[in-house]
Amino acid sequence: MTAFSFQNSPYKIRTDISSAYREYWHCLAQAGSWWSGAERVAIAREVRNATQCDYCSERKKALSPYQFPGTHQESGTLPSAAVDAVHRVITDQNRITQTYVENCELSEEQYVELVGVAVTVFSIDESMRALGVALEPLPEPVEGEPDHYRPIKAKRDVGFVAMIPVDGAVGVEKDLWKAGQTAHVLRALSLVPNAVREWYRVGDAQYLSVSQMKNLSGPTGRALDRRQIELVAGRISACSECFY
Amino acid sequence: MLSLSADLTETKIDLRIINDGGSETSPEGVLHARELVEFAEAVVSRDETDLRRAENELLKVAGQEALVDTACVAGNFQRMVRIADATGIPIDAVRLPLMMKAVDELGLKRFESAKNTPSMGWLNRLTAPLRRKLALSMMKRMDRKANGR
Repeated sequence: MTAFSFQNSPYKIRTDISSAYREYWHCLAQAGSWWSGAERVAIAREVRNATQCDYCSERKKALSPYQFPGTHQESGTLPSAAVDAVHRVITDQNRITQTYVENCELSEEQYVELVGVAVTVFSIDESMRALGVALEPLPEPVEGEPDHYRPIKAKRDVGFVAMIPVDGAVGVEKDLWKAGQTAHVLRALSLVPNAVREWYRVGDAQYLSVSQMKNLSGPTGRALDRRQIELVAGRISACSECFY
Repeated sequence: MLSLSADLTETKIDLRIINDGGSETSPEGVLHARELVEFAEAVVSRDETDLRRAENELLKVAGQEALVDTACVAGNFQRMVRIADATGIPIDAVRLPLMMKAVDELGLKRFESAKNTPSMGWLNRLTAPLRRKLALSMMKRMDRKANGR
């Protein structure tokens, strides 16, 4: 059966949503830049394990996540450092620190791609859970090797990881943003450019495209107006205690 | 962005709804605000009973298409907050003066991830109202262009 056919959904789902999700599932199964297809699908599986992980829910209540021994509910296919990173990103993201990222036993590039996969899968799963629709089975991984691509212009400026600078989206990266015009959140994962491209496509369907974002008062092309959209965004951010 | 959109459409919105979830403030200025907020809260809380109740309430007042769009926006921001926090990015310098009012009014510095954004120095604080005006006028121009006006 075709992925994201939404046959059992009680609601009609826009076709741009189902095709964006389907396209992402296709990308998820392929080798990325720093993880194989099998590892990327395993990261996705850990996203689902994290939401059910007793250790994560206990650790979240602890004063410090660093002094709370225990074991995650996991599938056993990823290195333990990767499992912990996925579980943290999903269940305790606002206590991630520079020190954690530097000492998590993953390379900076692996960490960034892992975050990209984890959050994009989670965003798709969350939209389906919100509608009471069963989660889509994960795709079968495709054979292949990671390409180990690191953008030549990537460097440390803000945040915990290297990124392409604001004026650095040129050459093969020129599709990422209009040179000189972007926001930190749009370049946060740009150490692995495909991680950005992959979430952009999903974000265009779930929220608004970058060009639609500039329209703050006119029609959105959605059933919600811009203030309603931003109210939901604001409340999600506040409940998640996200300052950004 | 809510505050910005309200400013551009000259709509008065009590931003406390972002913090309080509409329980203590009037949700005027945004259609179906209470139902939207309760749905967003239920998604984050992961309480399935609350979520199904909020789903039904939103469906009743706003309809199927709005419900689907809300679920997708919620999913989108479940991703965006994690990108921001997992990479420790600060608020963009250009957005900071626009956000200071909301940051102060809503006490957002209580959040753990606030430490990723350095505090504004006295000079920046002093000039923030002026820079907010400039940034707003830039946003207005951008908005007019996007709407072909």
